Amino acid sequence: MSAAVIAVVVAAHAVLLPVLYVRLSDVVRASHERLFVDHARTFARMLADQLELEGAADPPQRIRDLLDIAILNGDGVYAEYVDGRGAVRSRLGRAALRMPAQQDFSFREHGDHVYFLKLPINSGGRIAELRIGFDEMPTEADIGRALRRMLAVLAVYTGFSLAVALYFGVRLARPIRELQDGARAIASGDYAKRLGVASRIGELQDLSADLDHMRRALVDVNQQLRAEIAEKERAEERRRGLENDLRHRQRLDTVGTLAGGIAHEFNNALLPIILFTEAALEDLPAESPTREDLSRVLGSARRAREVVRKILTFSHKFDQAQLAVVDLVETVAESLKLFSALVPTTVTLTSALEPGPMPVRADPALLQQLVMNLGVNAYQSLGKTGGVVTIGLRRAAGVAELWVRDNGHGMDEATAARIFEPFFTTRGVGEGTGLGLSVVHGIVESFGARISVETAVGAGTTFRLFFPIVEVPS
Amino acid sequence: MMNILVVDDEGDVRDALRRVLVRAGFEVRCVGNGAEALEEIRRAGADVVITDIIMPGVDGVETIGTIRAEYPAVHIIAISGGGNFGDTAYQPTAITTSAYLAAANKAGADQVLTKPFETAELLRAIGRSSGIGNA
Repeated sequence: MSAAVIAVVVAAHAVLLPVLYVRLSDVVRASHERLFVDHARTFARMLADQLELEGAADPPQRIRDLLDIAILNGDGVYAEYVDGRGAVRSRLGRAALRMPAQQDFSFREHGDHVYFLKLPINSGGRIAELRIGFDEMPTEADIGRALRRMLAVLAVYTGFSLAVALYFGVRLARPIRELQDGARAIASGDYAKRLGVASRIGELQDLSADLDHMRRALVDVNQQLRAEIAEKERAEERRRGLENDLRHRQRLDTVGTLAGGIAHEFNNALLPIILFTEAALEDLPAESPTREDLSRVLGSARRAREVVRKILTFSHKFDQAQLAVVDLVETVAESLKLFSALVPTTVTLTSALEPGPMPVRADPALLQQLVMNLGVNAYQSLGKTGGVVTIGLRRAAGVAELWVRDNGHGMDEATAARIFEPFFTTRGVGEGTGLGLSVVHGIVESFGARISVETAVGAGTTFRLFFPIVEVPS
Repeated sequence: MMNILVVDDEGDVRDALRRVLVRAGFEVRCVGNGAEALEEIRRAGADVVITDIIMPGVDGVETIGTIRAEYPAVHIIAISGGGNFGDTAYQPTAITTSAYLAAANKAGADQVLTKPFETAELLRAIGRSSGIGNA
C-alpha cells in the first residue's frame, strides 16, 4: 500500500516536475529578457533624445560624456555616435567590440553576449546615429541563478512530497491493512476478533467503528442462528426420543397382551397335565418304570408353570391402591444383602446409596425381586472374567433413582431396544429364559415407575429406574 | 360323601378335576357353563362348587354371586388361569389373574386358586373351605 502511494507520487512528480520546470524557466527567461530589452531600448531612446536635444552635441566632448554616462549608468559596454563628420566613441566599455552590420532585435542574438542597438538622431537637420551595446551577461547570470534557485525549490518540494507521501502511506496503510485483515477474517467465518484500528484519521476511525458494528451484528446473528439450530436439534431429538419411547411401549404392550393370552391358554392346558400325571403317578405301583417318566412330565409341567407366571408378571398391572408405601432405601439395602451372597468371587459388588427414606409405592417382595433380577443380569453380563457391579440410589426432584451398573461388554443399539421383550435373550440355550428383564419391566410398570437403559458396546450397561416419591405426611 | 360340582368350559380341565377328586373319594358332577351349573345345583344341590371364572354365557363371577345368594352354605372355590381370554386377548388393558380372583372373592367365593395348581393344593382348599378333611 505505502509502496504504491509512493510510486504514484514519484511517477506524478517525474512527469509533472520537468514540464513545470520547462514552463517556469520559459517564463523566467522571457521576463528577464523582456526587462533587459525594455531597459536597453528605453535607456537608448532616452540617450538619443538627450543627444538630439543638446543640438547634436557640440562640442564632441559633451557627446562623449553622454556616451560615458550610458556605459556607467546603463550597463552599456559600448556606445558610439556617428554622423557625417565622423564618429565619437566612449572610451569606457570594451574597446574590442565592433558594432555588427545588423542591430539586435532579441536577447542573445549573434552569440556575442552584447545587445546592439542603432538609433537615428535628427538634430536640427543633421542626421546622426547612436550605436549602443548592452552587456547581456549579467542578465544571463540572473536567469541562470533564477533557474538554479527554482530547481532547488522544486527539489526541496519533491523531497518533501515524497516524505509526506511515505508518512501518510505508512499511516494509512497500517490501519487499512488491519481493517482488511479483519474483513477477511469475517469473510472466512471468524467473527471473534474485534476490529479496532488505532488511527488519528477520522474517516478510518469511522470505517473501523462501522465495520466492527457490522461484525458485532454478524456475531449476534450467528449466535442466534446457532442457538436456533441447537434448539431445533434438541426438539428433534426429544421428538425422536418420545417416538422411540412410544413405539417401544406399544411393542411391549402388544407383547404383554399376547403373552397374557398365551399364558391363559397355557395355564388351562397345564392344569390337566399336572392333575392327570399326579393321579397316574399315584395309581402306578411303586416299582413301575413308568413312574420315572411321569415324574419328568410333572417336573416339566411345573417348570412351564413358572415360566407362565413370569410372563404374567410382565403383563401384570397393579392397581396403585393395591401397592404399599415402602422405603426404597431400606428395601434396596436388604436386597443388596441377599444379592451379595449370590455374587461370584470374580465380581466386585459396590453400592452408593443416598440416605433415606425414599417412600415409593411398590410391592416389597416384587421390589426385592426387581433388584435381584437386575443384579443377576448385571453380573451375568460380565461373563467369566468378572468385573464390577454397582447399585446406587439417589433422590432428585421428587423422584428416586435406582441404578444398576456393570462394566461388562455392553450392548449394541438393536439389542438394547429389545431387552425388555419376553424371551429375548443374548445368552445361549439353558443360560436363561430371557424373562429376567421383561419381568423387571413388568414390575417397574406396575409400580408406575419408569426404566431406561444406557449402554454401548464395550462401555458397560446402566439401568436406571425412576420411582415417583410419595409424600408421606409426618 | 361330599358332593362337588365342577364348572369349567374346557373338557380337559373338567376331566382332570373329576379324575383327582373321584380318586380322593368325592362325588363329582361336571358342567360346562354357569347356566348349567345353576340348573344342576338347583336340581341336585352341592357341598362344594369349583368354578372357572371366565366362561362363555353366564360367567363365573355371576355364577358365584347367584349361588352365594341362593345357597349360603355351599362352599365355593374359584379357579382361573388369568391372563387375557377370548375377545379380550389383544386388549392392552389385560385383566389379570389377581383381578379375576379378587372379583370372585368379592362375589362370594370362599377360596381362590390360580391355574395350574397341584392336586395337593386343590385338596387343601377343599378341606379349608368345607372344614372337612378329605377322605
